[in-house]
Amino acid sequence: MDTLAVWAQDFIGVFNQGGAVLLSLMGGILPTLVVLLTAVNALIRLIGPEKIESLGVKAAQPGIQWYPVRYMVLPFLAVFFFTNPMAYTVGRFLPERQKPAFYDAAVSFVHPILGIFPHANPGELFVWAGISSGIAALGFDLGPLAIRYLLVGLVVIFIRGIVTEFITKVMMARKGNA
Amino acid sequence: MDAINKLLVTIGRSVGGVVGTLYQAGRDAVETTIRNVIPFMAFISFIIGLILATGIGDKIANAISGSASSLGGLLLVSVVCAIPVLSPLLGPGAVIAQIVGTLLGVEIGKGTIPAQYALPALFAINPQVGCDFIPVGLALGEAEPETVEVGVPAVLFSRLVTGPLAVVIAYFASFGLYNN
Repeated sequence: MDTLAVWAQDFIGVFNQGGAVLLSLMGGILPTLVVLLTAVNALIRLIGPEKIESLGVKAAQPGIQWYPVRYMVLPFLAVFFFTNPMAYTVGRFLPERQKPAFYDAAVSFVHPILGIFPHANPGELFVWAGISSGIAALGFDLGPLAIRYLLVGLVVIFIRGIVTEFITKVMMARKGNA
Repeated sequence: MDAINKLLVTIGRSVGGVVGTLYQAGRDAVETTIRNVIPFMAFISFIIGLILATGIGDKIANAISGSASSLGGLLLVSVVCAIPVLSPLLGPGAVIAQIVGTLLGVEIGKGTIPAQYALPALFAINPQVGCDFIPVGLALGEAEPETVEVGVPAVLFSRLVTGPLAVVIAYFASFGLYNN
């Protein structure tokens, strides 16, 4: 009987523990998230996402100075304004040979942006929030980690854009010869 | 009189427009939260509860913290996640990345994994991001079928290089973070 009681205690203990975690999440990040989502949604509606499209046309130009625009600025703005998954539609302004690289850059940015702008991909918030909750539990500020995640993310998508554009070029050339 | 009327109508319209936009924004925010965020919070809470209450956490900690608290271990994780056959399987909904992230977060909170590894870990668990979604993502960008044919392997192979590279960059970028 005692064993059974202990077992029952342990069983409900799992859910009590889980409930406490849920409450801390709902009371902690959720209210901020809702207000932030509202503000950014309103901002996006007032600015109008179609302004980004003209930048997409410009970013398609050849020349080394357009690489950072194409694989850093454009993915950032696309993910910020169109959010996941509609951000990838911005790729339609680029020529075919740059589309895989743009997709690679844009999709790689839907998580690094979460630390500061969670509206861009709230359904996958825990890629960021999972690890950052550990930092919060230690009593550290999340700001430094969030900003470094964003900045390193920008560097990484830039590199991904260049590497993927190069691989795409090689593969397309090989296909053309075959 | 006409001029005043016109002015009032203009003011009324623009105020109404702004209020309407804000209201709609709030509605969207709440809807996203209820449909996407809270269900995942419930799921994650259950997993964390299970880890903390059962002590499974200690076993996971032993397994994970070994690989997650050194650069080599994190690189290994990122290479495995970036293998072209595995990456599309690990991608969907970023569920794997979110669960592993949560596990690592628990261990960081307990002090098993040093806090300064948070940044490289964020990249190590995620080189597969979007690998399941390449054809759809390219289709959203109105790519030709030929581009999709080349684009899918191009992105997958690129990740093998850029996945571990991202971890290295993040590792060096994390110097001076949460040292004390």
